[in-house]
Amino acid sequence: MRETRLIMISPASGVTPDQVTRTIHTYGKRVVVKESCYGAVLEGEREIVREVIAEVRKLDPNGIFTKVRAFHAGDPRRCRAHHGTRPGFAQLEQEWNDLWKIHFGLDRAEKGERANDRKVRKKLSVMEFKKICEVK
Amino acid sequence: MKVFIDPPNSLILFDLVERFGHEPLSTMAAIQEKIDKIEIDMPPMNVSLEDVMKGLKYAGIEVPSGVRGRLAVWGPMIEEAEAAIIMEDCPYSFGCVGCHRTSLMVRYLIKRRGIPILDVDYPNDEDEGRDLVVRIKEFLEALK
Amino acid sequence: MIKIAQLSCGTEYSSVQYEVEKAARSVGATVVHPDVSAADINEAVERFGFKPQSPQLKLMIARAVQLADRKYDADAVFIATCFRCAEGALVRNELRRFIQDNTRLPVVTYSFTERLKASQLLTRMEALVTVVTRKELLARERQTGITAGIDSGSSTTKAVVMIDNRIAGKDWTPSGDVIASAETVMENALKEAGVKLKDVEAIGTTGYGRFRLGQHYNAKLVQEELTVNSKGAVWLADRQRGEATILDIGGMDNKAITVRDGVPDNFTMGGICAGASGRFLEMVSKRLKIEVTELGSLADKGNWRNAKMNSYCSVFGIQDLVTTLGDGKTFEDVAAAACHSVAEQVYEQQLQEIDVRHPIIQVGGTSLISGLVTAVGEVLGSKPIVPANSQYIGAVGGAILSSGFLEGV
Repeated sequence: MRETRLIMISPASGVTPDQVTRTIHTYGKRVVVKESCYGAVLEGEREIVREVIAEVRKLDPNGIFTKVRAFHAGDPRRCRAHHGTRPGFAQLEQEWNDLWKIHFGLDRAEKGERANDRKVRKKLSVMEFKKICEVK
Repeated sequence: MKVFIDPPNSLILFDLVERFGHEPLSTMAAIQEKIDKIEIDMPPMNVSLEDVMKGLKYAGIEVPSGVRGRLAVWGPMIEEAEAAIIMEDCPYSFGCVGCHRTSLMVRYLIKRRGIPILDVDYPNDEDEGRDLVVRIKEFLEALK
Repeated sequence: MIKIAQLSCGTEYSSVQYEVEKAARSVGATVVHPDVSAADINEAVERFGFKPQSPQLKLMIARAVQLADRKYDADAVFIATCFRCAEGALVRNELRRFIQDNTRLPVVTYSFTERLKASQLLTRMEALVTVVTRKELLARERQTGITAGIDSGSSTTKAVVMIDNRIAGKDWTPSGDVIASAETVMENALKEAGVKLKDVEAIGTTGYGRFRLGQHYNAKLVQEELTVNSKGAVWLADRQRGEATILDIGGMDNKAITVRDGVPDNFTMGGICAGASGRFLEMVSKRLKIEVTELGSLADKGNWRNAKMNSYCSVFGIQDLVTTLGDGKTFEDVAAAACHSVAEQVYEQQLQEIDVRHPIIQVGGTSLISGLVTAVGEVLGSKPIVPANSQYIGAVGGAILSSGFLEGV
């Protein structure tokens, strides 16, 4: 079964899309790889694609991210050249922008750091607000 | 375990679920299954009239077609899920998760399943990035 | 290739995106989606001021801003959201207004269900393309030479022969066989004009049967009724310059078109239901056992407030009619209520999708039903202009526009 993957490199990573693409080429596996602004698009048989992902991640384990893509690389049904950006593009762009937070988060989790309690935003009580208002 | 992610097309959630050893249930996989069916010619997504009608299982005819069509894609995945991670306050969610009403219904359907659910917040900084990663890691490890 | 920018939510998940693209392709256009980045979206939504909850609607706004700022090049705009989505309907209409305020691009809006087929969009898409590709032709204000126009509508077929910017002959008949009906009215119009078919230098066809008639008569112009009717209406009402709204309550669907100097820039066509069309008035007349031509004057004598009727659905509307008659209401009040109900439905379903510009020119066969014109005036707050020969707009438009193809003109 074919699998198409987006490889996204954290903006805080020293690895470049070119490096990812060239590294994948050196494996000599039966996959198609295309460099993109954020990393690469990888396509091939599922097992091979997953082997390649596991291998290429070693370049920067916490800085290289991936998700599957429904459409084939260059599928005319979703090609930017034909239709402009696809609807999910803006989201991907935004998530890529924020990948450094996850990148550092993974680094720190590895060092054994714990999570803070989840912040719950509460409204100020009327009495407290009144006190603030009354301060001259 | 099969873990449903919400937003169902999130790169961050997909990656973390897979990274920590589980199978993410995502929109991408559901759509791939559709678009690879060459006998259906309803580009771009191959969501057919039949699919929109299948959406009636989740919402009545008075609900807009776009909501029913979307629910027809995610409904079966939610039914298949063994756990779920829901990320709140995402600054995005375009494309397949573009309809707010559908997103509300998706979350409700997940909660109704009674499977283990983790609610997390979209990170605003590095500390929150760590919190997100640690929470997801602990949740997923506990599932094993 | 004409580029129609699509601003939409839900099309891909309603199994209609393919139909939208098919309709565009069949009229020689292509659907495009203005390019936007994540940053563009946030900025655009802030600027637009309406912040919808649904992200896809935000994307629509950002795409509209790209068009308004001329950062993305398109020739026309198609705005569509799911039928029954309140948030989508609000954004759809406000974006239509925004595009009109900020660009000169023709716009068409649509709310779809999963049953939408390309053929339903065809006339709208064709009109968008006509406005873009035939701008000069549509700006034509005079008819020249000897030309004819045939309007093959769902209820009636009309023909007009024009000579040097005046109507020389005309005729109409209820639509039967497309060709036979057209031949009858053409023959009579030619007779009245005192010319032979071979003398006619150009023919324009419009309406549902336009393609068949176009072939049959070797017409120089075969064009959808939105643009052709607009031309006929402004010519008949002598409102070729400035702004106006053309309202055509037709036999099967209703059209509301806003024009600037005779060229349409926004239009709506009833799509979901035919409840509020002329067909409903025909059904009412039949039940009252009168001719539809008598309904108007009957309505003028009645008071709609005395009878309750809602033609949102023609079946329920007729049920209302039966109940009202059973209650002993007069035919006059019932006729007035039927006219009022249709006017109200047109206001609720069509006129909310455009910005009504005055004057309102009411045309088409139903504009001869005086009670309906009165009702439209009451609902809209100002009485519409009904030009002479208002039922011949399509045929007149066809004759005027086809004269644009004559050599040396």
